[in-house]
Amino acid sequence: MEERRDFLIQGGMIALGLAGLATPGKAEAAGNTPRWAMIIDLNRCTGCQSCVIACKAKNQTPAGLFNTRIESNEAGSLPTVRTSYRPMLCQQCKEPACAKACRRKAITTLPSGIVVVDQARCQGDGACVAACPHRACFLNPARDNRMDKCDFCLTRLAKGLLPACVEGCPSGARLFGDAKAPQGEFGAYLTRNDLAPQPGRAGRVSYVPLRKNVMEKKS
Amino acid sequence: MKKAADSGNDKKISRRALVKGGAAAAVTMAWPAKLALAGQDAAAQPEGQKGGSRLDPDARVVHSVCLGCNAHCGNRIAVKNGTLAEISGNPYHPYNSMAEPAAYQTPVAETLALPSPVCGKAQDAANYLTNPYRLIRPLKRTGPRGSGSFAPIDWEQLIREVALGGKIFAELGEERTVPGLAELNSDAPIDPRDPGLGPKRNGLVFMTGRLQNGRQEFIDRFVKDGFGSTNRIGHTDICGLGFRMGNLALTEGKEVELKADPWGAEYILVFGANIYEALQPGINTYGAAVARRSAAGKLTFAIVDPRAQNASVHAHDWIPIIPGQDGAFAMGMIRWLIEHRRYNHRYLSAPNLEAARAAGFATYNNATHLVIDDPAHPNHGRFLRLADLSLAEDEKAIATYIVLSEKEGSPVAFDRLDRAVLDRAATLRDAKGRAIRVKTAFRLLREGVMAHTIEQYAAFAGVPAEQIAGTAAEFSAHGTRAAVCQYHGAGNYASGTYAAFAVAALNAMVGSVEMKGGYLSGGGGIGTWKKGPYNLTDFPGKRKPAGVKISREKGVYEKSSEYREKKAATGSGYPSRRPWFRFTKGGLSVETLSGIDERYPYPCGALFTYFYNPVYSTPGGNRYIETLRDPARVPLHVSIDTSVNESNLYADYIVPDVTYLEGHYGWLNPHAPALRFTGLRTPAMEPLTCRTADGRPFCLETFLIDLAEKLELPGFGEGAITDRDGGRHALHRAEDFYLRGYANIAAEAQVPVATATELAFVERNYPVSRFKEILNPEQWRQTCHALARGGIFSDYQSVFEGERFLHGIKRTVLYNEELATSRNTLTGERFPGTLCYLPPMDASGAVLAEKDRAYPFTVVTHKMNVHTQSRTSCHRWAMEIFPENFVVVNEGDAARMGLRDGDRVRLRSASNPEGVEGKAKVSRLIRPGCVAISFHYGHSQLGASPLAVKDAEQVFLGGAAVAKAGGMKGDPRLGRGLNPNLLSRLDERLANTPLVDMVGGIPDFSSTRVQLVKL
Repeated sequence: MEERRDFLIQGGMIALGLAGLATPGKAEAAGNTPRWAMIIDLNRCTGCQSCVIACKAKNQTPAGLFNTRIESNEAGSLPTVRTSYRPMLCQQCKEPACAKACRRKAITTLPSGIVVVDQARCQGDGACVAACPHRACFLNPARDNRMDKCDFCLTRLAKGLLPACVEGCPSGARLFGDAKAPQGEFGAYLTRNDLAPQPGRAGRVSYVPLRKNVMEKKS
Repeated sequence: MKKAADSGNDKKISRRALVKGGAAAAVTMAWPAKLALAGQDAAAQPEGQKGGSRLDPDARVVHSVCLGCNAHCGNRIAVKNGTLAEISGNPYHPYNSMAEPAAYQTPVAETLALPSPVCGKAQDAANYLTNPYRLIRPLKRTGPRGSGSFAPIDWEQLIREVALGGKIFAELGEERTVPGLAELNSDAPIDPRDPGLGPKRNGLVFMTGRLQNGRQEFIDRFVKDGFGSTNRIGHTDICGLGFRMGNLALTEGKEVELKADPWGAEYILVFGANIYEALQPGINTYGAAVARRSAAGKLTFAIVDPRAQNASVHAHDWIPIIPGQDGAFAMGMIRWLIEHRRYNHRYLSAPNLEAARAAGFATYNNATHLVIDDPAHPNHGRFLRLADLSLAEDEKAIATYIVLSEKEGSPVAFDRLDRAVLDRAATLRDAKGRAIRVKTAFRLLREGVMAHTIEQYAAFAGVPAEQIAGTAAEFSAHGTRAAVCQYHGAGNYASGTYAAFAVAALNAMVGSVEMKGGYLSGGGGIGTWKKGPYNLTDFPGKRKPAGVKISREKGVYEKSSEYREKKAATGSGYPSRRPWFRFTKGGLSVETLSGIDERYPYPCGALFTYFYNPVYSTPGGNRYIETLRDPARVPLHVSIDTSVNESNLYADYIVPDVTYLEGHYGWLNPHAPALRFTGLRTPAMEPLTCRTADGRPFCLETFLIDLAEKLELPGFGEGAITDRDGGRHALHRAEDFYLRGYANIAAEAQVPVATATELAFVERNYPVSRFKEILNPEQWRQTCHALARGGIFSDYQSVFEGERFLHGIKRTVLYNEELATSRNTLTGERFPGTLCYLPPMDASGAVLAEKDRAYPFTVVTHKMNVHTQSRTSCHRWAMEIFPENFVVVNEGDAARMGLRDGDRVRLRSASNPEGVEGKAKVSRLIRPGCVAISFHYGHSQLGASPLAVKDAEQVFLGGAAVAKAGGMKGDPRLGRGLNPNLLSRLDERLANTPLVDMVGGIPDFSSTRVQLVKL
C-alpha cells in the first residue's frame, strides 16, 4: 500500500518500468505496454466474497470501504427462485467520468488502461465520487480524504502477480490478462461473443452474463 | 538465499510448471525499481497484511494447511517484518487447484509465482492472529463461575493446582476440596456397583471442539494412553453426525463420509449441504468445482433444502423441502425408481464383489442377500448364513451369506453366482427340516419404501409429487455419474439416521458408490505417523482405557448392571435412565454434557474443554450453563482456548492457546470425496502467547506435557519416545512429538531427500526449522522435501482405474443387520434394519411438528461463506461485509404479517418462552413456514462484553487497547445479531436436555419451531 502511495506521490511510472508513459495518449511509446483487461464470468461466481477480502487484505482500505464488492439480488417466485451475484469494481473506463469531473486534473489513464489518481494533485473535492456511475471510488480517510479506488493492483502487476481479487477467486470467475497478447483461459474468454460491459460506461472490465437456468426457463 | 534466484531468470515464470487454466500468470514484467518509502508511521497502518508478497526478497514463505475452517485447503503464507504480508493458496495442494495441482516434484522456486486461491476466511487470518481479545496468560477465576472475574496466575501455580487440587478457591470463600487429576489417577472402579463402567480415571472428561489430526493424537496420548480415561470425546454430533449415520448404515460402519464427486459428476443432488457457503472440502474447493463445471455445462445440480442457498445462483432446480423431511423425499424418489424400474438392476443383482467388478462396478450391494424375517427364529433380523441352513458352526459357514438363484429360486452361497434374485420372499428349510422365513434385503427395502405413496411422501416433504418424479428421473439418467451431496442440513435432527440412510441409499440405487463422478469416500493419506523411524504410539506404562464413555456411545446397555437390576426387579431391563447408543459413529458431545448434567452413568470428576464453546454452538447449549456452574456436577473445569467465550466463562482455569498461524502442528488427510494426500501443517509465525521459564509457549501441548510430568504419567517427559535404533528421546516440547511424526510420514511415504535449495528454503522460512536437531540430518532433509511443499500430494486422476475409485469400500447394504438388532434403550424395541419413514420425534416418541404445532415457523440455521463456527467474530473484514445476521422470512409470510426488511421481531419457542429478538429480512429464498438464521452472530463474549479480569493489560494480546479500570472493555459491535441456538427444542422426557436422535445421538438442528411476532 505504501509503495503505491509513494509511486503516486512521485507521479512517476518509473516503478513499472514504463518510463515516459506518464502522460495519457502516449500509449504506444513503449512497444511492450500491456493493455490490461478483466473478464468476470457470472456463471462461475459463487458470491463467496473471497475477492472482496483478498482485496481488503492487500489494499487495507479503511473500515466499510472496499475497492470491490459483490452485489446480490433475488429473482423469480417460489419455487423457481434464485439469487444472483455481480462483482463490482472500478471499470477502468475508457472515458472515465471521474477524470472529467475532476477540476484539478488529478485523474489520468495509464497506457495500460488503468485509471489512476495523483495523490499530490487530489484535494479530496469528491466530484469524482459523485460522478462515477459504478460507485467505484471513494474518499479515503487514511489519505486525508483523497480519492482511492481499484488500480488493478499495480504493485502486484509489477512483480508479475495477478491482482489480488483475480488470484483469490476460487472458481476462476475473474479472468485477467493483456488484451494485446492474450493467453490461456483469459485469451479463450476474450474470443467469446457474449461479453458485456457494466451498463453505464464501458471500460476494461466485461462480464459473461448469467445464463438462465432451467428453473427460470420453466417459469 | 533469494527464492527467485534458483529459477534462473527470476522474471519469467516457467511455462511447463503452469497449472492448467492458470495461464493468466504468464506475463513478463520488469521488476520495479527500488521504491523509497515515504515517511510513514508504521503504527498508524492498519493491522494485518502491510503490502508485499511472497515474491519479495525479504519475505518468509511457508507452505502449510489453512485452518480458517475445517476444509483444510493448502495455504502459502508470506511474512514480512514479523507481520502477515500475503496469504494465498498452495499450488501443490489439490484443494487449491481443482484437484489437479502442480506436479509434486516441481521445484518450489517454480511454483512460488503461480496463482493459487484461498477464501476470505483464510485471508482474515491476519485478524484472527492479532485479535486483541486473545489471552496470552493463564487465568483462574476470582469470583463465582460465570461472573467473568478472572486473574492471571503463574504457570507453575496452574499446573500444581490442576494436578493436585485442594482448597484452591478458599480465597473466594469456597471451602470445598477440589479434586485434582491426581485423585482421579486410580484404577479403582468409578462405580463399585458396576465395575463394567470403568475406573475412576474415566472421571477425566476431555471434550474437544475444533480438533485436528496431530493435536488429536497428542491429546489421546495424554488422555487415553497416559492417564487411561476413555472419555476423550469429540464434537462429531453437533458437526455432522446426521449424514454420517446414513453412511454408517449404508457401509456397515466402514465409512462415514462419502459425497458426490464434483470433479467428475454429471448430476449432483444436494441435500442440506451449503455448497457455496460451507461444506468440507470448502467453498475454495467443492463449491468452486461445482461452479466451474456447471459454468462449462458439464454438471447440473439440484438443491433439496428449506433455503434456496447461495448455490441457487447456478442450480438447475430447488426443492424447498420442509425441515426434517429429507427421508420422505428420498424414499419418494426410491419408490419412483422401483416403480419405473429405473434403479441399476445390474448393480443390485450382483451378489458378490467379483460379480459386481466384472460388471464394471467398484462395490457390490447386498440387495440379493437373504434376511431372516422370522420372529420365531433365534437369528431373526440377521442375514441368513450357511450356518443357519447347514447348522455347521465353522468360520466359513458363519461368514457365508445366502442368495437365491434366478433359475431355480433355490438357496446358493453368495459367492457362487454372478446374478441372484433381487426381490423375493421365501420359506427355506434348514438341515433339520425347520422352516425359516426369509426375504431379500431388496424386498425389505421395498416394503419399507412402499409404506407410503409418492403423493404422501410429497405431502410430508411439502413439495409437489412431480418434483419427486422429475428429480428421480434426472438422478437415474446419468449412469454412475450421479450422486448425492448430503451434509449437515439433511439428517442433523431427531430421526435423522433414517433420513440419512434413505438419502445415502439413493446412490446404491444407481450403482454410483465409489465410481468416478459418483458417491465417493476420501482416498486417505500418504505415509503415516504411526510407523517409521520413531515409535510414537507405544511406550512403557501405556494404559488402555476401559469401561463405558459417559456419553454411552457404543456402549451396550444390556451389559450394564442397571439393565440387570432393572430386569430382575421388573421383568424388563428398559428403560435406561438416558439412551445408550450402540449403533453410532460417536463423538457425542451433547450426550456427554447431558451425562455430566445427570451424573449418568457416573459422575464427572474433571472437565477439560479444548477449543470448544458448547453453550454457544450446541442447539439448546444455554441449558448447560446450569451444568457448568455446578461444582457438584463439574468439580473442576479447565478450558484451553484462545479467548474467553460463552462456555469457558464458567471455567475455573483458562489456559491460553496459540492460533493455527503459530502452532497447531498436524497431518491432514482428505475429506471425502476422492483424492489422496497428507497436508503437513507447521506454523508461519512465532507464538504470541507468553512463555514458560524455559522458553516454551503457553499452549495446549506445553500444558499437557507439564501436567503429565507433574503427575508422572507415562509417555511424557524424559525418554518418552523411542526410535528404531533403541535410542530414547524426551517429550518436553510440542515439536518433540510432531517433528518425529513428520519424519515418520515422510519416511513411510518414501519422499525424496530435499535438494540443497529446498532445504535452505525451509531453514530460512519455516519457524519449525528452529527445532531441526530433533531429527538426525538425513531425516530432517527428507522431511524438508515434504515441508517445503506443505505436504505429500497426488492428483485426482491417480486414484482411479477407469471409472473405479481405487481406495474405496467394497460393500454397501440396503439392510443393516447391526442396526436391526440394536434396540432403543428407552423402549426396548428394535430399530428397523432398512429404510423407514420417520418424522422427527422426541424421546417419548411424540412427533415434534404435532407437539409444537402452536408454533408456526420452523427455524433452520446455516453457515456463511466468510465465517466459521463460533470463533470468527474477530474476523474484522468478514464483520465489515456482514456486521450482523437476520431472521430471514419468506416473502409471502412477511406480507401476511406486515413485515419489512429491518423490522424488529421476537421469536419464542416451547423451550424458550421468553425468546430472542432479531431483525427481519424478507426473502424469496426460504420456503413458507420456515425462517432461516445464520450462525456466527449473537455472541455475548469473545470481546462483546466487559469482563472483570485483573491486570487485563497483561492478560490480553491487545493490552491497553482493550483494558479499562477493573478489567477488559467490551465492544458491543462484536455482539450484534442473534444466536438461533438459544431457541432450540429441549426434551422434557430427558431432564430438559437438548433433543437428540434415539439411534445415533444426533442433536437436532431442524425441529425447533417458533412463534414470530413483529415488535
